[in-house]
Amino acid sequence: MPPAQERPCGPADLAGFPSAAGLAGFPGAADLAGFPGLAPARLHEIHAEARDWGAALAFALGAAGGGTGPVVLVRRQGRAALQLCAEGLVGLGLDPARLLLVAARDERALLRAGLDAARCPGLAAVVLESWGPLPLYDLTASRRLVLAAERCGAAVLLLRGQAPPRASAAHTRWQIRAAPSAPLAARAPGPAAIEAELLRLRGGPAGRRWQLEWDETHAIFRTGQAPFPTSAGGGGAALSGAVVSLAGLRQGPAGGRRAA
Amino acid sequence: MLVALVGQARRLAAVNPAAAALGLAPGLPLADARARFPDLAAAPADPVADARLLERLATRMAAFSPLVALDPPDGLLLDITGAAHLFGGEAAMAAAVVAAAVAACGSAARPALADHAAAARALARFGAGAAQDVRCLPVAALEPGEEVLAALASAGLVWLGDLAARPMAPLAARFGEGLVRALRAILGEVAPPLIPWRTLPPIHEEARFAEPIARTQDALAVIEALLLRAGTTLQARAQGGRRFIVELERGDGLRRRLAVETGQPTQAPAPVMRLLRERIETLADPLDPGFGFDTIRLAVGRTQSLPPRQIDTAGTAAEAGDISALIDRLSLRLGADAVCRLAPVDTHVPEAAQRLLPAREAPPQAWDLAPAALPRPLLLFDPPQPVAVIASVPDGPPLRFRWQGQLHEVRLAEGPERIAPEWWHAPDGQQGAATGPGHALSRDYYRVEDAGGRRFWLLRHGLFGETEAPLWYVHGLCA
Repeated sequence: MPPAQERPCGPADLAGFPSAAGLAGFPGAADLAGFPGLAPARLHEIHAEARDWGAALAFALGAAGGGTGPVVLVRRQGRAALQLCAEGLVGLGLDPARLLLVAARDERALLRAGLDAARCPGLAAVVLESWGPLPLYDLTASRRLVLAAERCGAAVLLLRGQAPPRASAAHTRWQIRAAPSAPLAARAPGPAAIEAELLRLRGGPAGRRWQLEWDETHAIFRTGQAPFPTSAGGGGAALSGAVVSLAGLRQGPAGGRRAA
Repeated sequence: MLVALVGQARRLAAVNPAAAALGLAPGLPLADARARFPDLAAAPADPVADARLLERLATRMAAFSPLVALDPPDGLLLDITGAAHLFGGEAAMAAAVVAAAVAACGSAARPALADHAAAARALARFGAGAAQDVRCLPVAALEPGEEVLAALASAGLVWLGDLAARPMAPLAARFGEGLVRALRAILGEVAPPLIPWRTLPPIHEEARFAEPIARTQDALAVIEALLLRAGTTLQARAQGGRRFIVELERGDGLRRRLAVETGQPTQAPAPVMRLLRERIETLADPLDPGFGFDTIRLAVGRTQSLPPRQIDTAGTAAEAGDISALIDRLSLRLGADAVCRLAPVDTHVPEAAQRLLPAREAPPQAWDLAPAALPRPLLLFDPPQPVAVIASVPDGPPLRFRWQGQLHEVRLAEGPERIAPEWWHAPDGQQGAATGPGHALSRDYYRVEDAGGRRFWLLRHGLFGETEAPLWYVHGLCA
């Protein structure tokens, strides 16, 4: 299958991803060539450190905002004094009216509420916020979530904060970090930028990284550091395709410079 | 005296006898009335409360007659056919009714008796003194429009008797069909039907058993049958239940009550049964049948209008119901406060610009989806976390800050976005806003990015003019 079928981004894909793994991301999520995205009707795990929690949540909710149905966010009660900011959600293209917030007492309640939500038809996404090792989340529990997601069509996104990866039936596993943004005029921080590393992809190779930048006008993630701002999606296809590969090549040294 | 908003003007809606004696009448603008009598006492009219009072009064009138009809906004019609002799005649009964009405609502009442409902209504509203003849009523009793009233006056027709003496067809041709219909109703030639006011009895179903049933599964099957019966009643009333109460009575007299609430009115047993099973699962002490249940009762505690719906072939109507079923289940298991929606609050203070409302009660609220002038964070700390900041004075962006023992070098910064305190909430208004230690301070927000690419929303609490040493906080994490 030619990777160029996806609209905004172009032809070539460096690592030669097998296409069957699901190029269809969320309607609003990044659809770079070879980027598996957060496909609906699948279970995805998103790992992040505490300091990258905003980036991880943005990755999940930004993808969920592209759908049309309600989004269920299950959080642990009183785990952290972090509350959602509705204006920030609007910036991520997610209408706060579509969001249903569930506060779970403990891990068991969290997984059970997530399973109930995943079994509810008509949802765009179910996002579970978990913290720590989560011993109850084993192969059986993840398989249950997978079956529920496949039957009802919602993407189930399990955010795992400061947790070691565990064997599970998830379709993809990501590590999300915040990335330096492209500065705007007067040294102002640019739009949200994140670095997404694919740790695992069911039926496909993993280990690639993408630099993603939030495009507020179109409410999708795009490759960052575009040399020429392209206005029209169709005309800019070839250009931004080239940007994908450049960003991929430049990945290592750029990261090294930042770390130094 | 009560005042109502009519269009853009505040006009008198009702006046008390003292105001009426001064020459004030309903319909007069409040400003005109105040100009004439500056010390008028006025209160806003509340038509909803009035309607509720009228319904309460109608319920009381059931003591006098089985057929009571509402005549909104402020009238009641009682059919006392065959009931007057119980109270010692018609006049005595009218006095008793008035006494009961005055005792119930505390305002004056004007009774009238007539052979027809429309005639009694006209006599009560337009009759003067003890006049019992509808032909002596003014033509205003027909309640025609202003124009028709003026036309009648110019034609020299003042009393109903004048109209009644004339043939109806020319009247209808000149003044309209409505006038003639009202006239015929008052004269008793046609009888428009009375729609009786009835309070519906609460829905209550009960099953008694010759032999006690000892298995919870059997009890649930009985409850399902009861729900089916209650559902039929609800369907006939075009209502749906919001709260269902099941009472299980054991042979030894012990009673257990189970109550479940649904977010959407429902007539079908299935969603209620799911909630009940969930309820029984989460009970602290399990449902113990002991030697068996003797009686099972079901009551519908709260109902809501649920008009019959056409079944949708596309199935779109079913989807909205599904998320409400999810909300019901989760609310029952985790508590109603644990399943919430965000609702907007009209304020500039970021942490107060939204609140959580229980999803079972609150429908989704409309949000302003226009992009904000400055990006807002995704997560907010509650309360904001104090940080040590090095920044240029007075309102330069932070250069570096220490948070949770870690030093962050600021690479990029944007700001300040100044959010002033809401002085209109200060107890002493505008004067006290900027002075005094306990008063709210202005906030300067900066969106900064550190060397690692993380974006924070930093806040300096207080300007340098307002306070000696403003404190810095990290208030949010940006995406």
